[in-house]
Amino acid sequence: MEKNLKVSELFNTQKENFKLRLFTQEHTLQSEIINNEVSRPGLVLCGFTKLFAYDRTLIFGETEIVYLENLTEEELKNNIEIMCSFDIPCMVISKGLEPPKMLIEVANRCGHPILGTTLGTQKFHRLLASYLEQYFAPQTFIHGTLADVYGVGLLYTGPSGIGKSECVLDLVERGHRLVCDDVVQIIRPRENILVGMMNPKLSYHMEIRGLGIIDICRLFGIRAVRAQKSIEMVVQLTRWQDDLEFERTGLSDRTTKILDVELPLVQLPLVPGKNITVISEVIAMNYLLKQGGYHTAKEFNRRLLEEMDQKHYIDGLSE
Amino acid sequence: MQLEKKIKVVNRLGLHARPAALLVQTTNRFNSEITIRKDDMEINAKSIMGIMMLAAGYGSTLVIRVSGNDADTAMKAVQELFVRKFDEDDEGEE
Repeated sequence: MEKNLKVSELFNTQKENFKLRLFTQEHTLQSEIINNEVSRPGLVLCGFTKLFAYDRTLIFGETEIVYLENLTEEELKNNIEIMCSFDIPCMVISKGLEPPKMLIEVANRCGHPILGTTLGTQKFHRLLASYLEQYFAPQTFIHGTLADVYGVGLLYTGPSGIGKSECVLDLVERGHRLVCDDVVQIIRPRENILVGMMNPKLSYHMEIRGLGIIDICRLFGIRAVRAQKSIEMVVQLTRWQDDLEFERTGLSDRTTKILDVELPLVQLPLVPGKNITVISEVIAMNYLLKQGGYHTAKEFNRRLLEEMDQKHYIDGLSE
Repeated sequence: MQLEKKIKVVNRLGLHARPAALLVQTTNRFNSEITIRKDDMEINAKSIMGIMMLAAGYGSTLVIRVSGNDADTAMKAVQELFVRKFDEDDEGEE
């Protein structure tokens, strides 16, 4: 879903953080920022508008302000009128500088907000860019349960009623932490990073068949929950089917994609009496081993091959 | 088979715990995948927490989507629940 950021929201929520003030009239705050791009006005100030990315938030630093101050009145008016004829979402003057009066006048008339910050240009640029990146981060909702097992974010998926909640309940009992049950909101704040978040409407409630709704935070305390967690792996629970092929060696690493980020995938067949909790812990620990450079299945196979004295084959394996 | 229908919540108290429970009992009888969308949020209609998270109050419009071999009967059953106001009278108890 597309969502835009009203400048009034930015101004009101980040006033303290970004040390903001407003130069233009209140009504200009209705303007909307439509993407996460931040840039400097550059040559537009000279009246050169080819390739002007006007849909970005523009930051005016000392260079821009000093340049404008050095223009003749006529040039200044001309260039500002040209720039403001574009639909600029928001302008910010950094370093506590004052914009030329003419710029404020024209911006008021065109409905473009001008904010000021006392922060340095680079610092403000970084802060604003990361704020916008987070705000405009792609997001999705996934039917599943997210838990933190030994610091590894495991996202359980699978059909309704297969036992995702029960599995995580068991994990919580063993000292691991619940992030969200049932409807997991996932965002991609940066390339290749997925973060799952607790849903404020559900908080840490879950449904256990036969019991009803329970509150994990009340039952197990604050140590049993966490508000958000990066997702490292997907554990897909499936009903046991005789004809379905499951991974037997762990040599081939299966993956799945969420929001275009590739994640390792473990498909677990369920049979009554199977202890998914311990397997979950092993999945997490195995992941940590792999992160540390130790791939158990490959290592085991390497030794096996060594035993069989097939040295040439090994060289082919370890690229 | 895939079906999609708009449904309005017409019982006074909206989709609170009791209607939600009734709804999942119904949806879980079918093989079809059933989802409910409200605004920009789509959830699995077989999970009670998801349904309650929608906080679909009186008068809100939901989009029901059903896909699978028994989609037709599933959609009918779901629709009927809404029309029946989940067997709650308009005064609303509780």
